[in-house]
Amino acid sequence: MCGIIGYTGFREARAVLLDGLKRLDYRGYDSAGIAVIGTTLRVYKDVGEIANIEKQIPALKGTTGIGHTRWATHGGVTKENAHPQLSCDKKIAIVHNGIIENYQKLKETLIKKGHKFVSQTDTEVIAHLIDEVYDGNIEEAVFAAVAKLKGSYAIVVVSENEPEKIIGVRKESPLVIGVGDNENFLASDIPAFLKYTNRVMFLDDGEFCVITKNAIRILNAQKKPVHKKEEVINWDVKDAEKSGFPHFMLKEIYDQPETIHQVLRGRLSEIEQTITFSEDVEKLLASKFSAIHIVACGTSYYASLVGKYFIEQLTDIPVEVALASEYRYYGSRNPSVLVIAVTQSGETADTIAVLKDAKNSGMRTLVITNVIGSTATRIADSYILTQSGPEIGVAATKTFTAQIITLLLLSLKSAVLQDTLGSAEMYTYIIHLKELPRYVRDVLQRTDEIKAMAEHLKDATSAFYIGRGVDYPIALEGALKLKEISYIHAEGFAAGELKHGPFALLTKDTPVIAVIAQEATYDKMIANIGEIKARGSPVIAVAEDKDTEIEKHADYVLRFPCESKSLSCVVIAVLLQLLAYHTANLRHCSIDKPRNLAKSVTVE
Amino acid sequence: MKCVILAAGEGKRMHPLTYTRPKVMLPIAGKPILEWNLTNAVRAGLKDFLFIINYKSGMVRDYFQDGKPWNVKISYINQGKPLGTAHAIGMVESFAYDFVVLCGDTIFGTTDIKNIMKKDAQLGVTTTENPSQYGVVDLEGDLLKAIYEKEPNPASNIINAGMYHFDASIFPAIKKTKISPRGEFEITDSINLLTHNDQLHAVHLKEWRDVVYPWHLLDANEELLKTQKSRCHGTIDSKASVTNSVVIGKDSVILPGTYIEGPVYIGRDCKIGPNCYIRPYTSIGDHCHIGNACEVKNSIVMDHSNVPHQNYVGDSVIGCYCNLGAGTKIANLRFDKNEISVILNGAKVDTKRRKLGAIIGDDVQTGINATINTGSIIGNSVFIGPGAIVNGEIKPQARIW
Repeated sequence: MCGIIGYTGFREARAVLLDGLKRLDYRGYDSAGIAVIGTTLRVYKDVGEIANIEKQIPALKGTTGIGHTRWATHGGVTKENAHPQLSCDKKIAIVHNGIIENYQKLKETLIKKGHKFVSQTDTEVIAHLIDEVYDGNIEEAVFAAVAKLKGSYAIVVVSENEPEKIIGVRKESPLVIGVGDNENFLASDIPAFLKYTNRVMFLDDGEFCVITKNAIRILNAQKKPVHKKEEVINWDVKDAEKSGFPHFMLKEIYDQPETIHQVLRGRLSEIEQTITFSEDVEKLLASKFSAIHIVACGTSYYASLVGKYFIEQLTDIPVEVALASEYRYYGSRNPSVLVIAVTQSGETADTIAVLKDAKNSGMRTLVITNVIGSTATRIADSYILTQSGPEIGVAATKTFTAQIITLLLLSLKSAVLQDTLGSAEMYTYIIHLKELPRYVRDVLQRTDEIKAMAEHLKDATSAFYIGRGVDYPIALEGALKLKEISYIHAEGFAAGELKHGPFALLTKDTPVIAVIAQEATYDKMIANIGEIKARGSPVIAVAEDKDTEIEKHADYVLRFPCESKSLSCVVIAVLLQLLAYHTANLRHCSIDKPRNLAKSVTVE
Repeated sequence: MKCVILAAGEGKRMHPLTYTRPKVMLPIAGKPILEWNLTNAVRAGLKDFLFIINYKSGMVRDYFQDGKPWNVKISYINQGKPLGTAHAIGMVESFAYDFVVLCGDTIFGTTDIKNIMKKDAQLGVTTTENPSQYGVVDLEGDLLKAIYEKEPNPASNIINAGMYHFDASIFPAIKKTKISPRGEFEITDSINLLTHNDQLHAVHLKEWRDVVYPWHLLDANEELLKTQKSRCHGTIDSKASVTNSVVIGKDSVILPGTYIEGPVYIGRDCKIGPNCYIRPYTSIGDHCHIGNACEVKNSIVMDHSNVPHQNYVGDSVIGCYCNLGAGTKIANLRFDKNEISVILNGAKVDTKRRKLGAIIGDDVQTGINATINTGSIIGNSVFIGPGAIVNGEIKPQARIW
């Protein structure tokens, strides 16, 4: 995955492009570059962070240009492989996000025709393809070239012969038009240009756009004009910045009382004791289906596992949770099944592939995502937004809790539609949901306590998280957070599974974090802790404020407040996020940009 | 000649009203500040406008669009970052070479705009009682020697009024301008650079209404309402009485028993009464309801807000989409009759007003019999519970019980 941006207008393009790239660097940050058209087309690119590359780029005259921040997929991290990539005559520059599957074959043909390649990227093929067919009209050339491409791409092209014009095209990779005044933008994501405009148009798969400073033309793959409505984005620029926190991740952890409000906004009705979603979501949930399959990757997968507990607890619907990358290889494509895809970005390649597959098999599809207008929202029958605002930290935090709550709301709604939940119970849930931000705020205030506990974790080379029932997926997510940002090897286990193997790994240097929130499994968890203690491993218990017994069993205790058993998982998730954050911080890790990871994974 | 209007600022000193709108969109006597400037500039003969926008720019654009309703052309430039007036004016380099600049949050008069359009007129100046808060100008005859920003002991009381007439020579000066101590690129610094070589002429303004703090809206409102002529596009019941100049917008109804003592402005689609008392210098926006046994005096009530049952609102500004519960009252005078001070953005500010009610942001709901003390500053989306007593500065989204 990479970040791309294009600009044409009245400002110096250099500054606009670099600024936009800095906001896109969550999409990749191993190398970056820009191309600006002044009297000639000039390209500057290098390996490293944008801030460092910026220093090497001289002042460039020119108000049209394109830029790219890279996260390598084809070709190593080198200056030659950084984008923009150029045609042989260096008059056409392109930036690309995605993968060209047939690039080898195209490359061979082009080499035979005399084209000289300087990089190992799949992208360079596109530049030469355009060059090959170019005869004075860049739009036509891009059309002709793209017709030959197989794979996924968002491409932005400029040509020295036609300055003040940028061409964009997308298939299965995001590309958004920013509609400005006397200027226009193209980018992988909105924060890149949000400072200059909050009016956007989303391109759909296969669409082209031709952009000048005063006009935007959108064409479909058949070159027919498409009319699009502008949408207005209501995030503030501030929302996309750190607002005083040392890391985006910490900011986003602290956003959670607010984002929980946001998820619930307009969906809870205390008076009518019901949950409201948009009409088409409700229609979908009210329709008859034999089972629900939830598909997701990474953190969203763990949120989905929590969702399974909720739905099966509250309704009679059987739920299967699957990793998107695996679901494609099994699962009956039964049209009576409802497929729910959970993806923060709405662009996760594996999840999108499942969605397309499910749709083709006639299954009903619902997406839970944070990004309106994302590819997933446009494929699925309907979607529910988690309404959490942009998440910049690579490690998902606020969107995880938002996904859990959305899934809970969804299961409550299904229960109401199926008549499996009484109104008194519903009322209790609604009250507890409303209280939830308060409990989360309470946990956030215990940050010093959690930081002190991180001291016991920071020198570990390996750590285990255990839980039972709904605490099990929370343990998995807790372990994921720790390994993602602190690089400590961490695994989550169902507490009952320890003795079936993982026990062999326990030593006195392997801390075990035990989540003990469920009354029904309390005694079993205490027994598990006893077994672990017998092997000499230190145990950090995560237990309720009211729990007076736990000190007798665990070495250390982290406490959380909560009145509702079913919602405690949200509060614990926040606590474990803080634990991972402080541990990583004590280890001086690059928290917002963990090595080898990117925010949303748009390759399979 | 083009007219550039600076409309990008947030106006932090106008909190809580500017949490949800840019400063230039604050309504005075039924129109946003920016529209007063636009209509005055149109009357002065300007037809081609460039609005520099940034903070909540969509609201400016949605309201003014391309300028057709005013028979003018309006285009927009987004400033991107709030880096100061010089940065904002620098934006227009590719669009204008001989142009008038108006600070969009100060109301200028038609005659003065006409005067600044003349050849030997570059800088609008005016006199004020508190020059230390402005840029003080050093003049020789009508020639500008220098502008000194916010000096504690200013040499004169003639200040820069925020109205300029520039040609392309300003752009090189803007590029040379250095960042000021308060962290912005200021047009006054660019002008100081110009004075070394060029002769800049000052024009003394006849009208000048600077609105800095929310209560200044009440002063400006009073002054502008004094000039309005009666108009009625709605319906006045025969059992209602209306005196002095009163404007009533389309589809508004004035119900029996209502007594309106002008000057008063009432927007479109309002329901006024029955049995309420609206006192002079009150502006009521569109889609509002002032109900039974309510008294509103010297106040601004913005669109979609209700003062519905047994309320008193005096010397106050109420944002959009507010609803006062039955019996909610706003105090506007201290027992000791002293001047009222408020807490704004955490700091104490003396308003120099003996009478001041509350400044209430958008989307505020109050319960029955809530009591709001003098000088209360209430952020947007605040809930005030039944019987609650409100004092001081309330942050947005707060819940007061």
